[in-house]
Amino acid sequence: MDAFIDWIYTTRLSSFVNDYRWVWPICESLHFCALTVLAGTVGLFDLRVLGLVKGIAPGALHATLRWGVVAFVVSAITGVMFISGASEQYFYNDAFRLKVVFLVLMGANAALFYWREFAGIRALGPRDDAPRSAKLIAAASLVFLVGVMLCGRMLTFFRPPFFHGP
Amino acid sequence: MMAFFASIEQNPIGTWVRESPSLLAFPFILFLHTLGLAMLAGLNIGLDAWLLGRRKLPPFELANIYRVMWVGFGINALSGVVLLAAYPAKALTNWVFFAKLLCIVVALWVLQRLKGELAIAAGAAERDVSAHARRLAFASLLLWTATIFAGRLLAYTHHILLVSEGLS
Repeated sequence: MDAFIDWIYTTRLSSFVNDYRWVWPICESLHFCALTVLAGTVGLFDLRVLGLVKGIAPGALHATLRWGVVAFVVSAITGVMFISGASEQYFYNDAFRLKVVFLVLMGANAALFYWREFAGIRALGPRDDAPRSAKLIAAASLVFLVGVMLCGRMLTFFRPPFFHGP
Repeated sequence: MMAFFASIEQNPIGTWVRESPSLLAFPFILFLHTLGLAMLAGLNIGLDAWLLGRRKLPPFELANIYRVMWVGFGINALSGVVLLAAYPAKALTNWVFFAKLLCIVVALWVLQRLKGELAIAAGAAERDVSAHARRLAFASLLLWTATIFAGRLLAYTHHILLVSEGLS
């Protein structure tokens, strides 16, 4: 692992993140904006599937998830920049490991939704109720999203003791 | 003014948040602040994105979405006050903090105006999305983005961290 981290620090991306004082704060701001957009668009769709929002056909609301996909890409890019700038903070951090687990669970949950439920959900009318199985997936999606946020916030408090980075 | 900040810093809640090694202190309150942001700004942005992507608005019920957003605002306001009690000088001596507050106030005003626009659509039939509603949604996106940037940049732009311990 140490050799891999040493290699990361030789990359141009790592130099870019560490050599300019404004890169880290701007990336953090973008990461938070992206997280908010992702949580809002996915959350709104999940609330509709759960039945808390009525009057909009889930199919019509689904189009906003494109914004969520863009937000996820921005999150991933800025996340890679953080890792390239302060690798030890992430690779030796239990909160980061758990965050990755939640991200994988989110992805698997989304895949399950599109595989098993999406066709039926897309056909629902504005006032129709989603099936129980789709509601379970939507509820799990919200739980995993909160898990990602919780672990992301806890990250700095689980830094390895030898780390003295940004 | 510094004596006033020092006295606030010594309040029991602020001291606990700042000094307790418990994850339920500063780390968990920071998480609550993020959760509230996702509930309020996130859902507002979700609504903005949905509205900007449509030509027609269907009649739909707003009450539950707004309820979740206001719960998010409550979580944000409470956690924000507790964080402010822990580090008053850090925020109150930094213009970025006041810019953030201003953005939040205007964003909430826009959110209420947007509710008015969407509520009109809660009639029997679909209706066109008005140019005014689009402007409100766009302004909302800009205001929440500015709020988030200001919130993050607070950590990098403060001049004073704690008055009472002479740290800066």
